[in-house]
Amino acid sequence: MSGTGEKLSGTKTPADFLKSIRGRPVVVKLNSGVDYRGVTLCFGVSSWLCACYPSSILACLDGYMNIAMEQTEEYVNGQLKNKYGDAFIRGNNVLYISTSKGTLAEGA
Amino acid sequence: MGSEEENAVKEPLDLIRLSLDERIYVKLRHDRELRGRLHAYDQHLNMILGDVEEIVTTVEIDDETYEEIVRTTRRTVPFLFVRGDGVILVSPPLRTA
Repeated sequence: MSGTGEKLSGTKTPADFLKSIRGRPVVVKLNSGVDYRGVTLCFGVSSWLCACYPSSILACLDGYMNIAMEQTEEYVNGQLKNKYGDAFIRGNNVLYISTSKGTLAEGA
Repeated sequence: MGSEEENAVKEPLDLIRLSLDERIYVKLRHDRELRGRLHAYDQHLNMILGDVEEIVTTVEIDDETYEEIVRTTRRTVPFLFVRGDGVILVSPPLRTA
């Protein structure tokens, strides 16, 4: 089967997707239409767990779709408005979390 | 670096825990922003902030020229309770770590 026929990085359920986005650049779109692009990683706790990264990398995700990211850029109407070193976004505002084509943290 | 895992960020709220007693930036709904010192927070993102500056941004569109007039209104509040449901984003100030 071709690559597209296979599961994307072992994604089966939303929980798996969230586990799989660690270390990847993501786009977080809010209900208000504002876009945030940053790099996210997941740390283990309760339901969303993965390996612990002992370096200064922070970002992660929890069951409320609260998301923490590093190197976050804020886009309004496609225009870069702000940059944040770190950002915590309250999950109720999140419309979706999407990976963007960037460096994959893990191989096949 | 192993012991750092105890203080490490395990869930997104931990990012905020690291910012206790530091100045933070909070983006709120309705085009409001706050900059203040974080004294307390909870899982709802209710927060207690000290020495806060609130910035309200309004955009007016001129009827004739259709020009967008962006206005900001600022005020300072020494001590503030922020209800969590209005919070969009919290960002610590530039961290050197």
